[in-house]
Amino acid sequence: MKQILHIFAKDARRFWPEILVSLAVTAAFVRFYPNQWRGTEAVALGAGVGAVAGGISHFLANALIVLIPVSWWLLISRVIHGERLIGHTQFWLTRPYEWKKLFAAKMLFLLTFLYLPLFIAQCLLLATAGFHPLAYLPGLLYNLLLITGIFVLPLVALSSVTSSFAKMTLVLLGAALLVAGIAALTTYLPSHTTGSVASPVGDRLSFVIVFCGCGAVVVLQYALRKTLRSWLVLIAIPVLLCTLAIGDPDQALMNRTYPSPASNVTAPVQLQYVPDQMQHVFTDETRDSNELDINIPLRVFGVADGSLVIPEAVKVAIDAPDGSHWDSPWQAINNQRLLSTTSDSNVRFRVARAAYDKYKSMSVALHLTFALTLTKAEATTQVPLPASDFSVPNFGVCTPQSSWLDFPGEFTSINCKAALRQPKLTYVNILWSHSRCFGPQFEPPTRTLGEAWTGSFDNDPAEFGITSVWQIPLYFSNNWEDRRQGSVPGPRRICVGSPITFTQYSVIGRTQFDLILQDFHLPDLAIGDQYLLRMK
Amino acid sequence: MNPAIATHSLRKQFGRTVAVDGLNLAVPEGAIYAMVGANGAGKTTIIKMLMNIYPPTAGSAAVLGIDSRKLAGKAFTRIGYVSENQEMPDWMTAGAMLDYYRPFYPTWDRALEQQLVRQFDLPLDRKLKHLSRGMKMKAAFASLLAYRPSLIVLDEPFSGLDPLVRDALIEGLIERAPETTIFLSSHDLAEIETFSSHVGYLEQGRLLFSEEMTVLADRFREVMVTLDSPSPLPENLPPTWLQPQAADCVFRFVHSSFNEQSSPRELAERFPTARDISFDPMPLRSIFLAVAKSGRSRPSTQQGRHSAKGNAA
Repeated sequence: MKQILHIFAKDARRFWPEILVSLAVTAAFVRFYPNQWRGTEAVALGAGVGAVAGGISHFLANALIVLIPVSWWLLISRVIHGERLIGHTQFWLTRPYEWKKLFAAKMLFLLTFLYLPLFIAQCLLLATAGFHPLAYLPGLLYNLLLITGIFVLPLVALSSVTSSFAKMTLVLLGAALLVAGIAALTTYLPSHTTGSVASPVGDRLSFVIVFCGCGAVVVLQYALRKTLRSWLVLIAIPVLLCTLAIGDPDQALMNRTYPSPASNVTAPVQLQYVPDQMQHVFTDETRDSNELDINIPLRVFGVADGSLVIPEAVKVAIDAPDGSHWDSPWQAINNQRLLSTTSDSNVRFRVARAAYDKYKSMSVALHLTFALTLTKAEATTQVPLPASDFSVPNFGVCTPQSSWLDFPGEFTSINCKAALRQPKLTYVNILWSHSRCFGPQFEPPTRTLGEAWTGSFDNDPAEFGITSVWQIPLYFSNNWEDRRQGSVPGPRRICVGSPITFTQYSVIGRTQFDLILQDFHLPDLAIGDQYLLRMK
Repeated sequence: MNPAIATHSLRKQFGRTVAVDGLNLAVPEGAIYAMVGANGAGKTTIIKMLMNIYPPTAGSAAVLGIDSRKLAGKAFTRIGYVSENQEMPDWMTAGAMLDYYRPFYPTWDRALEQQLVRQFDLPLDRKLKHLSRGMKMKAAFASLLAYRPSLIVLDEPFSGLDPLVRDALIEGLIERAPETTIFLSSHDLAEIETFSSHVGYLEQGRLLFSEEMTVLADRFREVMVTLDSPSPLPENLPPTWLQPQAADCVFRFVHSSFNEQSSPRELAERFPTARDISFDPMPLRSIFLAVAKSGRSRPSTQQGRHSAKGNAA
């Protein structure tokens, strides 16, 4: 322990400028980041100096989010390179340094000057936002674990296989160029799959690969200083990640995650394609010339009151009369939520252009298999909208937002803050006022409903982030009135005191749902400006 | 008595280049062993293998009884190492460096440290990066002599230093010599001749000989045979007669296994008509030159013979 503290003290004395920079950036982050929470309000509240100051404050808060990891990059590089691990001429190689103690001293340094300030900053941000930090201790520690795996360990690993900050920077730039190059290259490659589903398993495995890989590099370097071997491990990490991305374990696990329903179980939703009554069946070009998008409108019914059915993904199979067959992998469906009140929806999926060309003139059987997440309303909170901050249990702290055109007590949106992660999937609704909330033009709120969805089903105690406070802006539907009688089009408003309802949903199951469309003709391809118009 | 350093068939190869080839060496405790050889002979590579900076390609080495491949951590509390190209914590002052190193060594002698600071006239308040090369080397010496290591390993420690600094460092070393073993490399024979007790000669990664200085000095003689009449270079000369030359009536060579009792008689028998035979002791420099020049023409013969000497040392 004595040697650990001795090396630590030496590093603290030597790298005080880097420590100071890192602490200053973190302190500035704590000071200015909360301005972001009221940023839109500050900018909107007035013209001139106030707006400029608000804009600068907003910019500064965003810049600090970037500057903090940059200051860590400098700090980590300097402290690891202080006793660099590659080379044969370092003074410490022939001194009584024990590698475990050297390693521990470096980790103690990072713990003291990186983790501790960040932890304190995150606690202060939580407190500033109205959350009690101690209530979120597991989340705070979990976030530090994520930061370790995503930022700190890779930077420590890179520092341990390079000899200086400049060389490490070059390696980082090279890695960034490589990633950009691969990304650019993949856009020119024919897509191997039209599949893309949420990948919780893949993401966790990727995290484990990066965490263990970088950890192994660091320990290998400190224990053995076999740089070539460490580089091989380091190179194996992106190779494994690419292999994982190509292998896509979440595709393989879809049938297990979303099992087929038992025959005697009532389906949680009914989806129906009624071609005669419905519009907007079309096929679109995509950015990938080898694939096409097909959009099919669907009628929805059968969702129980208080339930929410979320189509997460769809798998498509085409059976032709000639016996030929084409099927797709699972494809993600975004932002579809089916409530008991939902009557219409649609499904959009991709098919290979070759399959489309082959089957477009045939009458085929289209087999759509949906992966459905079944949820149930768990808790509902309804409050009259206050004029200032209000707390919503298990959700966060919300602030009504007004624009510079609004009178006091009139709002156009609501900005919420959540601790460490997005809240559970939540449905929020308000009642819009068609007129001003006060004065001679005031009318009581109408039944025009403003709706917003936010949150996720992720169960982790925290999501990766430098900040511990997540901003949840709620932009409600129907916020613009364009046919007001005797008036110009304008924004609708939420009046203080009007009810706002938060309904949180929790997952009760996952299942598959099959929809078979017999004698289906693949819709014609929208061409030229039809496509462009739709894009606009 | 166990040798302070022992190597067995030690070999180091960088790609296709063999830097050290089959080194068998034993440095007795208490010796001041000088490993000499031209630049690129393999001296630094040997030292780096001994200090576990390079792993050997083959063979083994033991330093203070520890396998060199396991030399780390606490073992270095008994070993002091200074190299001409070793980095120092340049951002520290000389005083801060001594303060920093002190807690690493249980045997650190504070009084000796202060004595060395005075002896080397070290400016404690100046950063190492602002010191001259000589001063830096003095600081390095002070930082290793202060903990009274059992073994001091020096790689070209005096290279490029002015004579005053060199003498000061050698004086500092010699004062501590009775309590330690010193192993140093040099390509400058003059600087090690005055204080080394043992010497090894390395050429192209091979140890040509390794023995005590006194034995070496006794073993080599420059022999001059004056004959009655001009004579060609005799044939079938013994391999221990190096650099034979004949000019007019004089025949010269370097005798590399001279024996005070037997060699004059043998030479007299070999040259019965000789008018005079003289045997002159040789300075170290001349010995090395003779060995080096002969070694290049007959490397295999020399290697076999001197490896055995190395083992015997």
